[in-house]
Amino acid sequence: MNLRFIDWIWHVRDSLALAPGQSSDEAFDRLDPLFRQTGTRYQRTHDTLIFSKKDQAAQDKMSVFDAGLLQIDKNVGGPVLRYQLTSKALLFCFLASPLFLGIAQFTVFVSHFEKPTPAEEKKPADMPMNPIDKALGAPEPDKSKKEDKDDDKKLTPRAAYIFSGIFAILYVVGRILEDRLIKARFKKCLLSAE
Amino acid sequence: MNGIRVGKRVIGTQAPVTVGWENIPKVVGGPVKLFVFTWFQPVMLFAMIAFWYYAPNSIAKASTAVSIGIGFKVLLLALEWVNPRYASWRLTWKELVTDLFYVGLGFTLLRMVSHYIGSDVMAKAIEHHFHQDDFRWFTGLPLLVQALLIALIFDFGQYWMHRGMHNWYPLWLPHSVHHYITQLNINKGAVGNPVELFLIGLGIGGFFDFLPRAVLISGAFGLAIGTYQHINVRFNSPRWWRFLFNTTEHHSLHHSQDFESTRSNFAGTFIFIDRIFGTCIDGEAELLGMEGGRRMSIREQMTHPFTHGWRALKERFGQRMAVSAE
Repeated sequence: MNLRFIDWIWHVRDSLALAPGQSSDEAFDRLDPLFRQTGTRYQRTHDTLIFSKKDQAAQDKMSVFDAGLLQIDKNVGGPVLRYQLTSKALLFCFLASPLFLGIAQFTVFVSHFEKPTPAEEKKPADMPMNPIDKALGAPEPDKSKKEDKDDDKKLTPRAAYIFSGIFAILYVVGRILEDRLIKARFKKCLLSAE
Repeated sequence: MNGIRVGKRVIGTQAPVTVGWENIPKVVGGPVKLFVFTWFQPVMLFAMIAFWYYAPNSIAKASTAVSIGIGFKVLLLALEWVNPRYASWRLTWKELVTDLFYVGLGFTLLRMVSHYIGSDVMAKAIEHHFHQDDFRWFTGLPLLVQALLIALIFDFGQYWMHRGMHNWYPLWLPHSVHHYITQLNINKGAVGNPVELFLIGLGIGGFFDFLPRAVLISGAFGLAIGTYQHINVRFNSPRWWRFLFNTTEHHSLHHSQDFESTRSNFAGTFIFIDRIFGTCIDGEAELLGMEGGRRMSIREQMTHPFTHGWRALKERFGQRMAVSAE
């Protein structure tokens, strides 16, 4: 199976034009602080930088990415930085949505085996109300049947469906946001005046 | 690092901590901001208590409490953006995804497990064994007294469970995962190994399941006080609040990279329980986590107690077998 059709899910690929005349060394020097982070290993050759991250800090500017390749191509129009970054976090978020759908289906399956609650044998007690509560105007204790109260405790797949939706939205947001953030960060490092 | 002597112990020898309320930074801004971030906590607490005290029976139920809980946390998330305690605790997309994954597990799989082998079963067994008449002496008390007693008894149990987790290796193993968080945000309380989250859920709250209104009011204490354990918001909490209740300051110290500091502030809601047992330290920390602040991946969070438990068993029994063979 050719993963290129689906690997956009956890890969971010893009390119960025460098300032005219900016050398590979100069460009990578400017990007260097991004890779001098806890848990980051990187290797630089003339036109290429390869990095990997493990247990990266939460506030690492590239914490979403776990590995990547940055290359500088010398085109006719000027040097261009091409990058390809891998993110386990994006893949995880993408898979979390079907995972919670699965949990929802599992909840439905399990709830089929739930025995109906037997009729309450004990008579509901007459709940006393303290005179202080009466004086302060609190509502009388609830004397409705117990089955009504138990509705909150039934197993339902609703929460799992909601979380499946939340992760689908979070994935779309993250895929767009992190793509733009890393491009803006590279741009800031490479093109800002020293 | 020299550390600071607090009672019989010295804290802050491994990582920087701040001790004493006078040394903790205050909210900076105009009069409106100062007013909001000084009185937000007490106002929300009393508003929630009043709501549950007077809510009609038709809405005084668990599903309403869940909705209020979610709404309150969304509001607090907004406050994290308005007035963060530390820039180094800013919520990122990745942190949000991680935190919500655990929140999701809590609302789905863990709830299912509790339904079959956890607190729901305990509640049913107690309800089956006792009749409400057996508790007339309790249900006849004023509602607020009932609620306060439930919250106190529950937090007293949580205090000892939590302290036990820090003192007994088999319980520390699942709890240690929660101590790998490196910043405090509103959903960080949900982050941890599922085994620990299940154990924490085995509170004695289920014992009071047949007193819905009192339980709902006691839940308001947990929501409007305990939630601030994990949050990135700077408040000027009033002096009486800081004396009675757990705060972000207390809990950040509990999550500090300094080992001795982590052995303090165990209560979830009422910090005066720590004061009674001599484990309270008033202060705060910014650098949080274990192993110098290493951020643990979700995969490792899931397997850590088992892999480390297995390693510890092998070390212990492997050595014993080797000695007996000699």
